[in-house]
Amino acid sequence: MRYPDIFQVEDSDDFIFLMEHAVTEISRDLRLVISINGNEAIKALAGLQARSSKPGLILLDINLPGISGVEVLKKIRENDFFQSVPIVMFSTSDNPKDVDSVMGFGANGYQVKPMGYRELVNCLKKMKEYYLKTN
Amino acid sequence: MSQPIIDLTNCEKEPIHIPGKIQSHGFLLAVDTQSGLINYVSENISKYVQVEAKTVLGKGLDYLSEALALDVSVAGVLSQLINTGFNLKSIESLNPFVVELQGQAFNIIFFASANDLIIEFEINTNDGFESQKVIGSSISKILKGITLDSLLQNTAIEIKKVINYDRVMVYRFDDDDHGQVIAEEKEEHLEPFLHLHYPASDIPKQARELYKINLTRIISDVNAEPSPILTYETESTPIDLTNAELRAVSPMHIQYLKNMGVCSSFSISLVVKGELWGLIACHNYSAKFINYAARSASKLIGQILSSAIEYRQSEENNERFDLLDKASQVLVEMIDNSNEIPEALTKKEITIKDITEASGAVLIFEQKLICIGETPGESQIAALAEWLFDNMAETVYTSHRFPRVYKPAEKFSGVAAGVMACILSRELKEIIIWFKPELLENIQWAGNPDKPVEISAEGVMTLTPRKSFKSWTETVRHTSLKWGSAEVAAVIKMREHIIYAIKRKANEIRQLNEKLILAYDELDTFSYTISHDLRTPLSSIKGYAELLASNDSLDTNARKLLQRINKCTDKMASLITDILNYSRIGQTKVNKEIVEMGKVIEDTKMDIVAAFNPIADFSIGATPSIYGDKTMIVQVFANLMGNAVKYSSKTSNPRVVINGEVKKNEVVYSIADNGIGIDINYYNKIFEIFKRMDNVQDIEGTGVGLAIVKKIMDKHNGRIWFESTIGAGTTFFVAFKNKQ
Repeated sequence: MRYPDIFQVEDSDDFIFLMEHAVTEISRDLRLVISINGNEAIKALAGLQARSSKPGLILLDINLPGISGVEVLKKIRENDFFQSVPIVMFSTSDNPKDVDSVMGFGANGYQVKPMGYRELVNCLKKMKEYYLKTN
Repeated sequence: MSQPIIDLTNCEKEPIHIPGKIQSHGFLLAVDTQSGLINYVSENISKYVQVEAKTVLGKGLDYLSEALALDVSVAGVLSQLINTGFNLKSIESLNPFVVELQGQAFNIIFFASANDLIIEFEINTNDGFESQKVIGSSISKILKGITLDSLLQNTAIEIKKVINYDRVMVYRFDDDDHGQVIAEEKEEHLEPFLHLHYPASDIPKQARELYKINLTRIISDVNAEPSPILTYETESTPIDLTNAELRAVSPMHIQYLKNMGVCSSFSISLVVKGELWGLIACHNYSAKFINYAARSASKLIGQILSSAIEYRQSEENNERFDLLDKASQVLVEMIDNSNEIPEALTKKEITIKDITEASGAVLIFEQKLICIGETPGESQIAALAEWLFDNMAETVYTSHRFPRVYKPAEKFSGVAAGVMACILSRELKEIIIWFKPELLENIQWAGNPDKPVEISAEGVMTLTPRKSFKSWTETVRHTSLKWGSAEVAAVIKMREHIIYAIKRKANEIRQLNEKLILAYDELDTFSYTISHDLRTPLSSIKGYAELLASNDSLDTNARKLLQRINKCTDKMASLITDILNYSRIGQTKVNKEIVEMGKVIEDTKMDIVAAFNPIADFSIGATPSIYGDKTMIVQVFANLMGNAVKYSSKTSNPRVVINGEVKKNEVVYSIADNGIGIDINYYNKIFEIFKRMDNVQDIEGTGVGLAIVKKIMDKHNGRIWFESTIGAGTTFFVAFKNKQ
């Protein structure tokens, strides 16, 4: 089964706050689960796997405390169970060097974090449209 | 018509050490040291003793003793010589061995030549010469001379007393082997030869070599017939008479002396540090033999003079060397303690000039030319340096007659007839050159130094020793004082220290470079961190403000304030983006390609129209391709065209004109607007980051755009400039180099 719709790894309280608002604004049915660091994310994903749940989309912040977003990305991609789940890297950097360095590890997309709330809502709408169409 | 070129080198080929003849004022025998048999004898033996030369050949020495009726003691010595197997060194210490033959006193002079013991018999004139006494007083008189000149003059006087010849001269060789009379003592009625120069060919090379080995040489009578030396018919090697007192004289030299009117000649070699420094040349205008004892005394005086000269020269050299060495030590210390090599070498109290006796010097270093003292002009120096790089095999070069090897130097030989050069780096064309000025010197030649060629009655050209000794004046040009060994030594030492300093400096620069690379990396990380750390909270502020604005309960005033927060965050966000772009260009490599500009300009125009929705009228002229990094070129045009639109937005009929032109080496684009214009006083300021003009405060901008454009143009080795009139408009020009 697909649960949640969006699994996000993000350490910024502020961004989490805005994210939750934006998701609610887009659709009350859209289910968002957030882990605040890499280790928690890996644990949470293991929990989902135990219940045979797969997220519809994983949003991974690159800069995380402890293990980095790229390391989390590698771990997820090592697991066959999550093979089909699209992963989008989320970052403040628009440096092409950073983009290239993560795309090689199996990310499906790279998204520069939107500036402010309205951009975030627009961005999430587009991602929902693209990755979560079946819903 | 071409003339045969004739010089006197054939004189140099004459084997004068094996003439096969002796002078006739004595006779000669040679004994084979292996067999003890006489294998050479001079034909004139019969003139002195009643023995035919032919009968002597092949006989032992005992036969000779008998035939010559030598007394018992002489015969004893001779037989002892034979029995002890000829200890040749000790034999020579017997010289002269006085004997009496048929009532006539003879000096026997022994010496070794290859496998032979040569025994010369020379008449002992026994003129009552008391060598011990004469030499003692002569030497003390000679050494009273304080200066070199007085030392030499005293020597001439004393030698004349000893040998009583008409003329005694001290003759000094120059480094080109020509010579000059530098002291003279003569009979009063004779014409002086003092200061006259004689060409090198007057004393050919092999003669100079003999002078170094055999220190005295007498030609007792130029008119006497020489006597041939007989040997077995089977014996083919001529006897080596290098050390013989009686050695016959080259006919060429006899002619030379005759031409000069000289009947007897005597010379004493002056050998300083193993080199033939000069000669004491003595002439007599009637035949006059000098007894062996007087010749020996003269030889001794010559040797003492030689060592006095050697001592004085080294003393003088040491004084000069000390002076230069002090300067050199100061300079070397400055080089060792300075990072600015040119400054250390040229700008302090002691400079490169002072480690030599040069009157000018030039340093060519790091593509700069620094002159000290008297030097040729800069373009002359540049050409001269080129020649030196092409022609110097060693790292140090000296010439005191530089215009002879480098013709253009004739023009500036007044300051640089003498040149010393020291290459620091061939690759970087770095060199130090020293200059000494021309010394004009009038040389009095004893006759034209180019010996005349004589044409004989048969019309055959033959070389003869010259006949004319009429004084002939030549002005020697393009010659400076010589470069001394002390100067060369100081230069070599200095060079070592400079090379070391250059290496040390290069090492420091390398370390600095590594630090710089680290610093750049840090800056890279820093920019990234800054962008992340600043953007994240900024994004949140904006997000919260937007969320708050969607709250229906807010009043109009609160909404206005939220809008302002929004605007401020936007401004800050674009500033952060621009800074990031600016710093990123510095770190990005330029990937050049041919960029089709028509599309780039059209796309940029569309973007601008979409973003600003301007009313400006775009006019696009020629759009030739540019060779450069496409991403960067797009950025340049986006910024310049964006600026043109922005700063003409307040004009009533805004118009932006873009045109490209292909020039010889570059493509130049102009982007013109009819906007507010730029104050020319700020010409250079506008390309600095964060600099904005006073008249644009109400137009949005971060002050980074033009700085980015400038940086991109710099990275392309291109150019950017502008023309502007306040209130009328601005035209920016960008020039990109063509593909090579």
